[in-house]
Amino acid sequence: MQKTKVSRRDFLKLGTATMGALALGQFIPPPVAQAARATGSLDSNGSGYISTLCEMCVWRCGVRAKVVENRIVKLEGNPEHPHSQGKLCARGQAGLMNTYDQDRVLNPLIRVGKRGEGKFRRASWSEALDLVAENMLKIKNTYGPEAMVFSSTHNLSQPGFENLLYGFGSPNYGTQRSLCFNAMIVANLITYGLEEPARDYSQLNYLILTGRNLTEAISTSETMDLIDTIARGGKVIYLDPRFTKTASKATEWCPIKPGTDLAFHLALINVIISEKRYDQRFVDQYTLGFDQLVDSVAKYTPEWAAPISGVDAAVIRRIAGEFSDAAPNALAHNGWRTSNFINSFPTERAITILNALVGNWGVTMHPAAGEGGSPLGKPPQPPYPRISALRLDGVPWKFPFVPLKLGIFQQLRDAMLAEDPYPAHGWFISRQNPVLSLPDRQKTLQVFSKLDFIVSVDIIPNDTAWFADVVLPEASYLERYDPLVPIGNRIFIRQPVIEPQGEAKSALWIYKELGNRLGLSDFFQYTDEEDYLNQELAPLNVSLDEIRLHGYIDLPEGVAESEFKWTTPSGKIEIYSESLGKQGFDPIPVWQEPPQPKSNEFFLLSGKVGQHTQFGTQNNVLLHKYEDVPRLWMSPDAAASLGLVDWDTVEVTSPVGSVQVALQITPAIRSDCVYLTPGYGHLSKGLRTAYGIGASSSVLHVTFVDPISGGQALSQTFVSVKKA
Amino acid sequence: MPQKNHYAFVIDVARCIDCRACLVACSVENNVPLDHTRIWVQDQSVQGEWPVLERTFIPYNCMHCDNPPCTEVCVSGATYKDETSGLILVDQEACIGCGFCVEACPYGVRYIDQTRGVVDKCNACSQRLEIGLPPACVATCLGKSRLFGDLNDPNSDVSIALKQAKSIVRLDYEKGETDTDPNIFYISLPETESIQSTDPFGQVSQPSLPRDPHYTVSEVGWKKVLLPVIGAAMGAAFLVQGIFFTKQLIEGEKEFEE
Repeated sequence: MQKTKVSRRDFLKLGTATMGALALGQFIPPPVAQAARATGSLDSNGSGYISTLCEMCVWRCGVRAKVVENRIVKLEGNPEHPHSQGKLCARGQAGLMNTYDQDRVLNPLIRVGKRGEGKFRRASWSEALDLVAENMLKIKNTYGPEAMVFSSTHNLSQPGFENLLYGFGSPNYGTQRSLCFNAMIVANLITYGLEEPARDYSQLNYLILTGRNLTEAISTSETMDLIDTIARGGKVIYLDPRFTKTASKATEWCPIKPGTDLAFHLALINVIISEKRYDQRFVDQYTLGFDQLVDSVAKYTPEWAAPISGVDAAVIRRIAGEFSDAAPNALAHNGWRTSNFINSFPTERAITILNALVGNWGVTMHPAAGEGGSPLGKPPQPPYPRISALRLDGVPWKFPFVPLKLGIFQQLRDAMLAEDPYPAHGWFISRQNPVLSLPDRQKTLQVFSKLDFIVSVDIIPNDTAWFADVVLPEASYLERYDPLVPIGNRIFIRQPVIEPQGEAKSALWIYKELGNRLGLSDFFQYTDEEDYLNQELAPLNVSLDEIRLHGYIDLPEGVAESEFKWTTPSGKIEIYSESLGKQGFDPIPVWQEPPQPKSNEFFLLSGKVGQHTQFGTQNNVLLHKYEDVPRLWMSPDAAASLGLVDWDTVEVTSPVGSVQVALQITPAIRSDCVYLTPGYGHLSKGLRTAYGIGASSSVLHVTFVDPISGGQALSQTFVSVKKA
Repeated sequence: MPQKNHYAFVIDVARCIDCRACLVACSVENNVPLDHTRIWVQDQSVQGEWPVLERTFIPYNCMHCDNPPCTEVCVSGATYKDETSGLILVDQEACIGCGFCVEACPYGVRYIDQTRGVVDKCNACSQRLEIGLPPACVATCLGKSRLFGDLNDPNSDVSIALKQAKSIVRLDYEKGETDTDPNIFYISLPETESIQSTDPFGQVSQPSLPRDPHYTVSEVGWKKVLLPVIGAAMGAAFLVQGIFFTKQLIEGEKEFEE
């Protein structure tokens, strides 16, 4: 036999072998069980509860994992964690099946077939890591460190990931943020000097939700807050071109025309100013540029906004009145879908300004936890080497307002394709699936075909791993430690509930071992995961065992967050931003007419469902069990005019691609829009549950880069639809 | 002898967001096979005229009836109403898997677990109640829509919720001269709501809720006053949830092994 190929049967066999090892563990407890017994979390049979943190989305709820004989049998929300309050959503409840996924990658894999063919052989960690380091160093020595691109989703291991890439000397750092809410974050930074204010529903009586589908794009505690607010009689105005589940719960739903949220909010500001409904004291004391705003919004009357947005002038006027009457117990929500259009940045600016005008700050909005800095220590490390190469994504040299840690992912991909300003040769991808997340998937696959070397760190053979040269198997979130998380005056821990299965390893271990091989050991000065955490805890005089027992520890007295200050250039809430003006952008938000579909085209809307997170959970059998079939939504009128009936297979075509998908005729969508849930249409045949279901909207999405925030406009693609 | 406990579910329909955390939690807690479910969230689908639309989600599971049709047809005695708790339980050691009870249940909440050859259904997570935990669906309900407790205890969540409720609806099923007296109490159900027939797994051959047009929706208070029919059951409206496992398993195997 020449080469060992990894088959599903091997995966299954390996699973059985692991079970055997766990059975033996009754006599020689594995380290996780040993540690848990030391704190009293597990009994001598390896049964009990261990507290940790969820990673089924980025909300990071507290989890209490029920373990029976070293096997996870149930996950519960940790009542002591502010994000979960004893609850977990469907994804959190299903989390154990990510860990026990039949398709888990349990050994390092090295590609043996063509890229994308899915043929790999197993390798030892030392062979795989040596191969990765050898290729990375070859690229560095031949083309410079900048020829190596690194990308990772927002997660707790990011400090280690950043050490790896900046220590290596590459400026090229991709995250997923520009596909999500760059517009929202940059607008908050410009206006308030912070990324995202924390929202406080405890005294909230009036909420304008703009494209924040909280009952389907679930953030457990905030979703619960919304339901409680409605139940106690709080008023919720919900703007969305779709009648989502949130719309069905809201007090009032406005089926706003896509991309016109800006007109709606400018008109609210117009009414609040013209009817003198703003908080004069707050505006005078804390804001900059009110006078310029008065002139600028004078033309944006409700009568002007009505035909643009499709919301009646009288309704806009009434909402402006109710909102300002309710203030400061009111909030205009920054939203998520608001980052989906070409004019999302000024929309977000208008929302931030609206809240400032009526003085909601300090009542329904606060500085987010962590804005004051972390009380934790960290392992010592040298300064990063000086990096002189430009970032491929143009941050900050073309996009001065985009924070380095956000970057512009779609621009990074386009620059790799165009080799402008220089070619990339390798891509290190951790916990991320750009094949499905980036717009215009064909381009991403073209980039893959050009590169010398691709590494993917993941727990399942997702679409990106499928195209990689080396796949490094990470321990799942229930099998590993991650760096600690301070929230308010508590420190929370993600700790292993069971031993990693197969040969899976934590990111802390993988980055360190790779760092050692790349000559970067100074950036990873810890012996193992526990040593890393002990160094974090050192300034607090708290032991790891103390935090392990309940999954958190309250900070000792006197370790409080520093006082919040506005960190804008003026030290005030900047309604008028001179920084924007200096760069040639509008210093105050003004109306920007978004492009419109032709008469035979539709807006392709993006959105979320409560059973999945982005592009990584569709292979979870429990979520698959309770998901809806992902079909293309279309209104009855539109379907009738095209001669289509429910469940027809339709061909959806955009300027960059075409997919076939089943049709869902529903009155829950405007007739000028269609909607497709992202995260389906997987290419990897290694995902046996998810493969073959639905279609990928990334095939259809046209790439867009907002010149200020770098945001992609995911709902600004126009498509035509016909019977397949 | 009166029951010591009178366990019941109260469901605040206004608070259900159809997130399906309850469904997953139940499946994990009770090892429910992937092709079955013990509990449901019925989607009444989008109603109304654009742009005045409505959509209601109605969680349900075994109604733990006071007057259950399932126990009467059980030939082995495996299905019984527990004298202490009032819960309808299945002794799976005694169950012979004949399926009479599956047919008899007007709510369609029972299934035969083919791998074990026994009938399975919601047991209100009795294994959790024994150690003082609420049922898994209730424990994780994001909207606090699902409540569970003892109606004999005036301070229980369910007693308090019913006392404060403006309307209480039960899905009574006429059974001879009486009715099933179900122990799920719906509060804040929209008045105009008609309960539609739904097949949670999209397979026409499977029983659905309510699968029989004899269904009546009646409004009851503490005294169980039967009121006229609010809405008759309508034809099948299928909430389809994809079950594609087999196809993929076969395809995936081929490709992966190549």
